[in-house]
Amino acid sequence: MAQKPNNKLLPLTEATFYILLALVNPKHGYAVMQEAEEVSRGTVRLAPGTIYGALTALEASKLITMVGTEGRRKIYQVTELGKQVLRDQIHRYQIMLENAVDNNALWAASTSGEGVS
Amino acid sequence: MDSIKKFKWFWAWQDEKEEAWLTKMAKEGLHLESMPFPCVYQFQPGEPGDYVYRLDFQTLRAKDRDSYLQLFADAGWEHIGDLGGWVYFRHIVNGSEIPDIYSDPKSKMGKYQRIMAILIVFLPIMIILIPQSRDLERYGSWYIIFEILSGLLVLLFSFAIIQLFRRILSLKRMDESGLYK
Repeated sequence: MAQKPNNKLLPLTEATFYILLALVNPKHGYAVMQEAEEVSRGTVRLAPGTIYGALTALEASKLITMVGTEGRRKIYQVTELGKQVLRDQIHRYQIMLENAVDNNALWAASTSGEGVS
Repeated sequence: MDSIKKFKWFWAWQDEKEEAWLTKMAKEGLHLESMPFPCVYQFQPGEPGDYVYRLDFQTLRAKDRDSYLQLFADAGWEHIGDLGGWVYFRHIVNGSEIPDIYSDPKSKMGKYQRIMAILIVFLPIMIILIPQSRDLERYGSWYIIFEILSGLLVLLFSFAIIQLFRRILSLKRMDESGLYK
């Protein structure tokens, strides 16, 4: 696992995760906002000030790079480092999911009526 | 109709109070047009409207500014004008959801940190500018006025920094508790 070099960048916040995921293909800021909202099924809604700051920070940490412009819009795309960080994060999610799915007591509790709603 | 000018003073840490006031004015049919000078607001009279106003604080270079304003425009925010580092936006309100320019406390903290950074840079300069008592002997007693004024300015700057710091702390707590309005 090539996780050690990226330790400082992980875990990603949900918002950062969706921004990086959207930027696997080149996009401008507003397209990132739209795609994050769509693929997260409305759970991640980013405001412009937040996304502008996130793009600036991700560019500074070399996870994304500007690949062009469209009028006054800047087009960004993930770098190799960005892709690696994204894959490392997904690996973390996989571990989390496996732990939760394999936990029989968790699923048993949800059918016994003891769960807190 | 002719524009209406209003004079109103808000401190740097009262941005949310200012936003609420501008929304109230729009509800009364007075729509912010420009800020010709600090504390002077120029309104265009018209139909009452349901708008949310937001003030951002940015110190961007010209080439970054264009893409910044374009992103806000794409997201439905109308850029009204600038005053110092303050950027004034408005967005029409449809339904019960109030749009915002920041969607999490962390990025909103960044705004107050940028304001604070500027104040912190200026504070030592102002302290240096406080006349020394030896100047007082040299230039006479009218210098006391300068001394008091610059002393007050330093106090005000310090107070502003404390207020902004409190805002940042409360946003930090919100971030840690996962609560955000």
